[in-house]
Order: sequence, then structure tokens, then C-alpha cells
Amino acid sequence: MLTISKNRLQALTLAAFAGAAVMLRVFDPATSGIFPPCPVHYLTGWYCPGCGSLRAIHQLLHGNLRVAWAMNPLTVVLLPFLAYGLASFSLFEIRGRGLPQPFLRAVWIRALCAAIILFGIARNLPLHPFDLLAPGMMLHL
Amino acid sequence: MFCTQCGANNADTAAVCVQCGRNLQAATPAVPLQATGVVLPPGVTVQNYLVFAILATVFCCLPAGIPAIVYAAQVNGKLQAGDLAGAQAASNNAKMWCLISLGLGLGIIVLYVILIMVGVLSGIHRH
Repeated sequence: MLTISKNRLQALTLAAFAGAAVMLRVFDPATSGIFPPCPVHYLTGWYCPGCGSLRAIHQLLHGNLRVAWAMNPLTVVLLPFLAYGLASFSLFEIRGRGLPQPFLRAVWIRALCAAIILFGIARNLPLHPFDLLAPGMMLHL
Repeated sequence: MFCTQCGANNADTAAVCVQCGRNLQAATPAVPLQATGVVLPPGVTVQNYLVFAILATVFCCLPAGIPAIVYAAQVNGKLQAGDLAGAQAASNNAKMWCLISLGLGLGIIVLYVILIMVGVLSGIHRH
């Protein structure tokens, strides 16, 4: 019984990811207004490390790597790893074994955490060239 | 004991893992686990939820996603030191913070949709 509900939960999770991908392909978060704004940016006016990531994924799904990079370079860099990790996780849950994965040492995960935070700080600095990291700024180069 | 394949906690007498069905008797590592450092028996995995922790940080709620990443790092750090029980505990914490972040993120989205509906309805009313 437990396994059935667990499988259903995983199927729902995967369906949610697939649905989100379709929505992001069809609607542009920059113009459509159906995606909620980033709560951090809405409340504080600061860009968070994820600001522009939905716009970046929308552009990626349309093959515009340059615009996607301008929206959120961190997302573009992380997406292949996240996709691989998600595929591995799904396979692990389905057949009990994920994709081959090098053991990621704790120090790398901490470095990643620091990179996300530093990226979030840097893109709010009103100094050139850090201001280029804010969503869309690189399009005006 | 913890399953060497999926990390699920099983009774010490269990013959097969309750979660993934791996044969636990044959899977006992030849070298006993000790906190001596880098020796990680092959095949040992404890889910660290790193992918979900990053997704939660970037998409849902930054403040709740950060502890999820920190716990994900702890899972791998403790695995590296041979501390399976500690890794499992950190794994559970990582999962919990992912869910907290997801909950906060979904809550904000729901709130946003409600606000938009209210806005649209009041707009219709005015005209």
C-alpha cells in the first residue's frame, strides 16, 4: 500500500515537472503575467539567485541560449546537472538504481551553496561588471 | 541496519531491504564501517536530495532552501566518514527543508493567484 502511494507521488512529481516545462515553453514569463513574480524581488526589490530563471528556461526551450544566459547564467550552467540529477533520482525510485554518479564530496556542495549566495549578492551590486548579472542586463551590451 | 543500496533503515535481522528488496545478508561489506575517512563501500548511497534542494533554493524559497543544501552536504560528508546513521538523519533533514521550501513557494503562488482573482473581480465590478 505504501509503495503504491509513493509511486503515485513520484508520478505526480514528474508530471508536475513536465507540465511546468510545457507551460514555460508556451508562455513567456517576461510578458504573460501568469507566472508569479519572485517573492524576494517583489518584497525587497533585490534580485535573488533564481530571478530570471523562468525567463531563462523559456528562452532555452526556444533555443535562444544567448538570451537565456543574459536572464540567468547560473540557471543555464546548473540546468544540465539538475536534469541529470532528476533523471537519476527518477530511475532510482523506479528501478532502485540511479544513473552512474560520481560521489559528490561535501566540500563541492558547500562551494555550490556559496556560489549561489555570492551570485545572488553580486547581481545586486550597482558596480560594473557585476550589474551585468542582473536579469536581462547582458542584452544591452 | 541500513541498506547498502538505497539507505533505507531495516531491522538488523531482515534478509532483504523493505524498500528496494536488496539481499541484506550478502550485502554486508567486508570491511566494517568506521569513521576513518575516505573508505566508502561501493554501492552505498543515501539520498541527499541535492537536486531538490537546489531547485527549492532557486525556485521556491531561498531562506528555506539554503538549510536543505547544507544538510545535503552533511549527507555526503557523513557518508564520506562512514557515518551511515548520521547521513540518514541529515538526509531526512534535507528532505524536510525541501518540503518546507516547496510549501512556502506553493503558498506564495496560491496567495498570488487569489490576489489576482480579487483584482480581476474588483475590476469587473468597477466597470
